[in-house]
Amino acid sequence: MIQQLLGFLSYYIPELMCVVLMTTLLMAEAAVKEEHGSRDKIYTYALAVLALTLIPLFQNLSKPPVIIFHNAVTIDAFSTMIKIIMVLGTMGSIFLSRSSKDIYTNLKSEFAIMAVGVLIGGMLLASANNMLTLYLGIETLSILSYVMSSLKRDEATSAEAGMKYALYGGLTAGVMLYGISHLYGVLGTIQFSEMIGGLGSLEGTNMMIVMVSFLLFFAGIGYKISCFPFHMWSPDVYQGAPIPVTSFFSIVPKLGGLAALVRVSMVFFNHETIISVSWIGLMLVISAMTMTVGNVTAIGQTSVKRMLAFSSIGHIGMMILGVVVLNDVGVRAILFYGIVYMFMTLIAFYITSHLSDMYGTDSIDVFKGLIYKHPLMAIIMASVLFSLAGMPPFSGFIAKFNIFSVIIEKKYYGIALVAAVNSVIALYYYMKLAKTMIFGEMKSDEKVAGFTTANQAVIVALFIPVVFLGIFWEKVMIMSGNAAIFIK
Amino acid sequence: MSGILNWVLWLPIIGMVGVLLTPKENEKAIKLVTLVTTAITLLLTIVLYLKFDTNTPDMQFVFKIPWIAQFNINYSLGIDGITLPMTFLNALLFFICTLSSWTVHKSPKGYFALLLMLQSTVFGVFFSLDFFLFYVYWEVMLLPMFFLIGIWGGENREYAAIKFFLYTFFGSIFMLVGIIALYYASGAGPESFNILAHQGGKFVNETLTIFGHTISFEKTMFWFMFLGFAIKVPVFPFHTWLPHAHVQAPTAVSVILAGVLLKMGTYGFLRIAFPIFPAAAVEYSTIIAVLGLISVIYGAFCAMAQDDVKKLVAYSSVSHMGFVMLGLSAMTVQGMNGAVLQMFNHGTSTAMMFLLIGILYERSHHRWIVKPDGSKGFGGLYTKLPKYSVVFIIGMFASLGLPGLSGFISEALIFLGIYQRFTTITVIAVVGLLIGAAYLLWMFKRMFFGEVNPECEEYEDMDNREVFYMLPLCACVIFFGIFPAPLLNVMKASVGQLVDLLAKFQV
Repeated sequence: MIQQLLGFLSYYIPELMCVVLMTTLLMAEAAVKEEHGSRDKIYTYALAVLALTLIPLFQNLSKPPVIIFHNAVTIDAFSTMIKIIMVLGTMGSIFLSRSSKDIYTNLKSEFAIMAVGVLIGGMLLASANNMLTLYLGIETLSILSYVMSSLKRDEATSAEAGMKYALYGGLTAGVMLYGISHLYGVLGTIQFSEMIGGLGSLEGTNMMIVMVSFLLFFAGIGYKISCFPFHMWSPDVYQGAPIPVTSFFSIVPKLGGLAALVRVSMVFFNHETIISVSWIGLMLVISAMTMTVGNVTAIGQTSVKRMLAFSSIGHIGMMILGVVVLNDVGVRAILFYGIVYMFMTLIAFYITSHLSDMYGTDSIDVFKGLIYKHPLMAIIMASVLFSLAGMPPFSGFIAKFNIFSVIIEKKYYGIALVAAVNSVIALYYYMKLAKTMIFGEMKSDEKVAGFTTANQAVIVALFIPVVFLGIFWEKVMIMSGNAAIFIK
Repeated sequence: MSGILNWVLWLPIIGMVGVLLTPKENEKAIKLVTLVTTAITLLLTIVLYLKFDTNTPDMQFVFKIPWIAQFNINYSLGIDGITLPMTFLNALLFFICTLSSWTVHKSPKGYFALLLMLQSTVFGVFFSLDFFLFYVYWEVMLLPMFFLIGIWGGENREYAAIKFFLYTFFGSIFMLVGIIALYYASGAGPESFNILAHQGGKFVNETLTIFGHTISFEKTMFWFMFLGFAIKVPVFPFHTWLPHAHVQAPTAVSVILAGVLLKMGTYGFLRIAFPIFPAAAVEYSTIIAVLGLISVIYGAFCAMAQDDVKKLVAYSSVSHMGFVMLGLSAMTVQGMNGAVLQMFNHGTSTAMMFLLIGILYERSHHRWIVKPDGSKGFGGLYTKLPKYSVVFIIGMFASLGLPGLSGFISEALIFLGIYQRFTTITVIAVVGLLIGAAYLLWMFKRMFFGEVNPECEEYEDMDNREVFYMLPLCACVIFFGIFPAPLLNVMKASVGQLVDLLAKFQV
């Protein structure tokens, strides 16, 4: 028994490391003195431990999939890949919070603690192998997220963000749980592997109940990935929350939710049944609406944070298309998209954060004339915007190309046209921002944007994969492909 | 010898790195690096011409290595008789544009770096034999253009840059869908991104289902590709981005835009849309011809109505590219040869016009034939600027198709070709030629004759630099007007192959 448990734990090292990190950070926070330097040590410690978790994660990537803790958790290459992206995203956001003025100095270690907590929830969600683990993951992820979004506690918008997030979150979690309980009622189990067997032999009323239950279940996940029609909270939360939190929200909880969506779709609907046909239909409609609503609404935004929020809704719509095809090529496309999206989003938020710290607002005007103030950052930001729009030679194009490729392979030409029109709309608002940075004249009395050397180095380091994966993407694509094979 | 295309393609990028490494303050060094790079590139393309075998329609100087092997994507380059003239034109125009941009003083480092990047991407479009590579170059080309128009352009440059970018992107995203569909329709095998492997009407019997309707694969994909290329040409009704982009762009960028970028659209028809979907091309050739005809007539009338001389020349480009479309839709030996020849000849003559307008603008700082307040913008330039006037006359007559100058030969060939297929359209299109002569001569009358406008008193004639960079274009226009054989010989075999292919699908 003990032997078995220890065997399980050897697969679970990354999660355990995060739990240890979180608890030690809590204690360290209590011991921190307001003097200079001790807070920096906490940062170094948190980032170092997170970086170390990448080692067991990469080891797990090449191991055959296992199911541990009595069918509760799957450790396969797919979940590991998602975890790697989430860890990198968390590291990026924590490093961003270090220099951001948006998070008060005395709350900075709390941000790190909660980010690691959300990461643990996300990891659980990505590996969930039964409905209960999945629900547990979503809740762990959510509860800390509610607190994080109101971290700027003396500002009304931030408090509003937290409140909104919690209310919507509570409601959708309830709806989801309701769906799960019906599924349990009809199928008599919460294990994914056992539920599949029951799905095949459904008839009449039970079939209806299961279909409705999956719809209710989808509400919970749809809320986490903020797809239409559960997206309304995200712009307000994104705008109200401090920027490092926003950057964190657009990566970790979204990818966690997406991982759960991919797993549920691949496990339950990978066969030709009536339910899976309806599920594909649902995903098609959801993705088309999510893309369109996200991109069209982004056009009119004057706050960069809000624009990025809507743009991330658009990107999620694109990623859902990888679910529609229900094969490992689609999952590969999602994984690659996730990696690229993480890098692009981090850079966009890094630069926005610095500029909004400097001018005290996140309006699009702070980007005016950036090319004259800081040419390097302006060029990187412009490249990232074009990458987000899916222009070659940047990696955003390869991500988009793959999504198009998987849906056209399955001959979904209609949705391909919707996605095509959407990428033109997306290009328009990214270009509007690029235009402000580069074509706008600088007023002479404005101060020069100061990016610290450390931040510049991180931005450049994050930018290298954005370009590199646009030209030499074969290795990473094969890696994503291998990770996608395991998910069944 | 196979590596020479790599040199032509990457030399501008090496030059761009050189420009970026040069200190910002040293303007002269930046310009010299650009000039030397473009000069060597031009020499290399002349070597290409000398080594070119005119007897074979096959690709030459082929270079192919795997790029993304798992997805059957190759880095594969090659040129044939259709692309060789375009390659030479591209090298020549960039060399000339570098000289003409000597007067650019606003952040020259960025300007020349982007110019060199643009040159490389245009070469890339013409050289690519792999669909993926082609698409990447087709899109990357937009980035330097966007910044060149947006930063160094005129007053309304932001609007023009965005409009140009969005229009082209809209067309090309449909092309991307078409490219991926072709990839899977041909079995996703090792040759599925190879442009040449798809040629010959292999998709005639394929079908696809879109929004529940089953339709012909070939016809649908033809229109997807058509959209991408027609916006680039631009064919009516997709032409509305062009006047804005041209008027706002700096001189050199206008020259490149009209000279080579528009040709990428017609090149797309010649290399992709026609050979890969020949049955659809034949079936819809009437529509293409009618759209070409509308471009010719409508573009000419729009040009006549302009008070801004640059806008006039921009609309004349719409009109002249309409002739290329007419030549393509003829699908006969004469028509196709005429179309390819017109692509080259329009490149030289319209480049002359834009350069000349740029030269004048540097003196007058406006381009009004008739100013908005109704007074004359120019007048009597002929007596004040004799050298300038002579060059202008050569450029203008080449543009309107005077026999003896280059435009005549290509337009005559196009008419010879299209008369065999669409008699009525030919008759109407000839009227376009007449309108063309009318607006150009009327413009010339208003600007160059009559009393000398007091504003024009202190204009200086062309200096040696300006004369020097206009000379090669004048030479091209006159030489190919009298003796087009060197160009026709080069393109004969490749064009002949395409015509033969299309003939198989004509009833």
